[in-house]
Amino acid sequence: MKTISVGTLESSDCLITLKSAQTLSIDIDSVVHEAFYDHIKAVVEKTLAQYNIEKIQVIVQDKGALDYTIIARLKSAIERWREAHG
Amino acid sequence: MIYKSLEKLMEDLKIHDGLHLSFHHHLRNGDKVLNLIMEDLIAKNIKDLHLYPSGIFPVHTSMVNALKKGLIKSITTNYLNGPLSDALNQYPMEGQLTMQTHGGRARAIIEGDNQIDIAFIAVSSCDQAGNASGLYGKTACGALGYAIEDAIHAKRTVIVCDTLLDTVNNPQIEGQFVDDVLLIDSIGNASGIVSGTLAITKDPLGLKVAREAMRFLIASQFIKNNVSYQSGAGGVSLAITKMFNEYLESHHLKASFYTGGITRYHVDALEKGLVQSLYDVQCFDMEAIRSLKENPDHHFMSASDYANPNNPDRKIKALDIVILGATEIDLDFNVNVTTDSKGLIIGGSGGHSDTAEDAKLSIIVSPLLKGRMPLICKRVTTITTPGKHIDVLITERGIAINPMRKDLLELFNDSALNIMPIETLMKKAHDLSGVPKPLKKSSQSLGIVEDRHGQTSDILYRKE
Amino acid sequence: MEIYEADAVIIDFEDAVNVSEKMEARHLTESFLNNHTVSVDIYVRINSEEPFLDEDITLINQLPIQGVVVPKSTEAFLKKLLPKFKASLDVLALIETPNAFFELNKIAQMKPVKSLLLGAEDLMSVIGGIRDESGLAINYARSALIMAGRAHGKTIIDTPWVSLDENQLQEDIKCGQTLGFDGKMAIHPNQVIAINEAFSPSPKAIESALRILAMHKKKGSMRFSLDGKMVDKPIIQQAQNFLDKAKQYGLLSGENYDL
Repeated sequence: MKTISVGTLESSDCLITLKSAQTLSIDIDSVVHEAFYDHIKAVVEKTLAQYNIEKIQVIVQDKGALDYTIIARLKSAIERWREAHG
Repeated sequence: MIYKSLEKLMEDLKIHDGLHLSFHHHLRNGDKVLNLIMEDLIAKNIKDLHLYPSGIFPVHTSMVNALKKGLIKSITTNYLNGPLSDALNQYPMEGQLTMQTHGGRARAIIEGDNQIDIAFIAVSSCDQAGNASGLYGKTACGALGYAIEDAIHAKRTVIVCDTLLDTVNNPQIEGQFVDDVLLIDSIGNASGIVSGTLAITKDPLGLKVAREAMRFLIASQFIKNNVSYQSGAGGVSLAITKMFNEYLESHHLKASFYTGGITRYHVDALEKGLVQSLYDVQCFDMEAIRSLKENPDHHFMSASDYANPNNPDRKIKALDIVILGATEIDLDFNVNVTTDSKGLIIGGSGGHSDTAEDAKLSIIVSPLLKGRMPLICKRVTTITTPGKHIDVLITERGIAINPMRKDLLELFNDSALNIMPIETLMKKAHDLSGVPKPLKKSSQSLGIVEDRHGQTSDILYRKE
Repeated sequence: MEIYEADAVIIDFEDAVNVSEKMEARHLTESFLNNHTVSVDIYVRINSEEPFLDEDITLINQLPIQGVVVPKSTEAFLKKLLPKFKASLDVLALIETPNAFFELNKIAQMKPVKSLLLGAEDLMSVIGGIRDESGLAINYARSALIMAGRAHGKTIIDTPWVSLDENQLQEDIKCGQTLGFDGKMAIHPNQVIAINEAFSPSPKAIESALRILAMHKKKGSMRFSLDGKMVDKPIIQQAQNFLDKAKQYGLLSGENYDL
């Protein structure tokens, strides 16, 4: 299965990578880990739920992106994923 | 006596365990002298060292080595940035880290709180008599303000120099205070010492903050003939200094003096007749060095003449306006420039809390968010400068006046500027970033932050 | 978005976005506008070509925005698009092709079109001239927009200056401002202040206009001389228009104005 990556590693952006998996796993590596890890995880879970996605690996490499950026990057990645995997 | 061999010098100095040694940071990240001495001490396995560098930079990796070997007992400094910061968390010292201020360090040396056995003072030029100046030689860095008290008060003063001149006129350090001179090939890398091209910020956010600060200054009625002013060398501060100069010029006003670290934007004001005098403790670029050499209205000053709280003639006592930065500021206007939000040491007061305490108008300028981290928090991780000395916070999204400044609140009551309580400004930041989870503080202390009077203003904790 | 002091912000889906990233631009915009309140008018420049055009229109019809910038506007293109936009969207016609200049009168008459925008760079790429800060190459284009806009009461906005050189920007601003534009697009936030300053009535000009109106009131006449200049009806009207604009910008207190 093809891996999908969307976004950049520039300051205030994030790079989101999707990989196929048998369960849902969310890996977050953030420059604001201490202060916002739980927050970012909740944002990712909420967005995945909107698409009813339960089996995927989401890797977030975060350079201090605001919520709207994380949501937009994740939505784009999911749509790319669906285009690629039908 | 003039030495050409480090080995011979160290032998004559009778280096032994437990010494208190000082250095200065005028060569900034281009300094070779601290490393030269430290590596020698490491090779000789000299222990229980008490170190007093006025500032520590990433280049100072020898301190990390000494720390790992357990040779350092305590460190007292005004600014710390680089790998030593991480190392201090990993390799505890028996003694503690003390973060002083520029004025506080001068006071502590003069009054004997910092007892220095040997001061190793890197200077770019000196003569046979030990007269030394930072203005001449291949590694000139300009004013040596932070080294003067060390030279005068250390039990033994060693000049480490790479250019020997026949005579040094108007020396910054007089030969009468100098015991030894060590001649070496090079005291530093010129490229790391001064920046040839310090420039105002081009970042639209930074320029917006600068414009808001300038609008506030104009409305504050502080800008009039004989106003005095200080700002740092950061991109936003420089932008404000340039706007400040332009305002003086277009309104035919003349400032009395600018203090602190000097840049080409300060020099520009002096040369255009917009300010009477510059008082220079440290040169940030080549233009500042040139001007200090040739312009009689550009004065050199020591750290004590700059900011020592017990020196009644300190220049910042008469300061009207100071523009300062912040890593964090809290609802009581306490400012942190010492640690990041995770508690890692990334800087220190330098002259921050000195100038904030003395200036009539102390302004913090900063973007409201640093990456995703809000600038404003309920309680700063580390208090560098207490809120009672901070008057105004200026960001791109609003201005907050310290409620203790009732006069300013009244003056700006009907202002068209975007003035709001600091709590509202924090809420604005949270609307963008979300509310950050508070950091769990470690229970193990690493050291203290000391104010200029020698009182402890906060505790530094080891990062877990 | 409001912090850079522009009166309006155009989010670009067209030339500023790589073909491979059109979807991401839409997601970022949607996500931003749905998560943040913005106190400035937002417009979106859509793509002019399929398949992006339709997807852009579907999205902008759902966004909380003031309007849409239509690139390469011609009479036919606008006629095709206007019925697809939700009614509340203001349409800003970007005039950047030679054909459009022969249809300006009709474009300016279309009701949803609130404003004419000049896009000089695309235009130059077709007509082959060389544009510099003298403005010579686009003098006709600028004037044509002004005539059409003024004939039909539409706002006219000047083309951006794409270099960040401040002196060149000043020259270019002056060209459009002298010809009569209402404002100018900026391509970088750092250009906004210079544009705002140039297009805002200066204190000196306000004082001069106030003196004309004061003299007009005092003499009760439409014809008089002031400071060696002959004043008659169009000059008085210009002064009046100018003060209306100054008041709109909040540069005039009411009492001064009611002279």
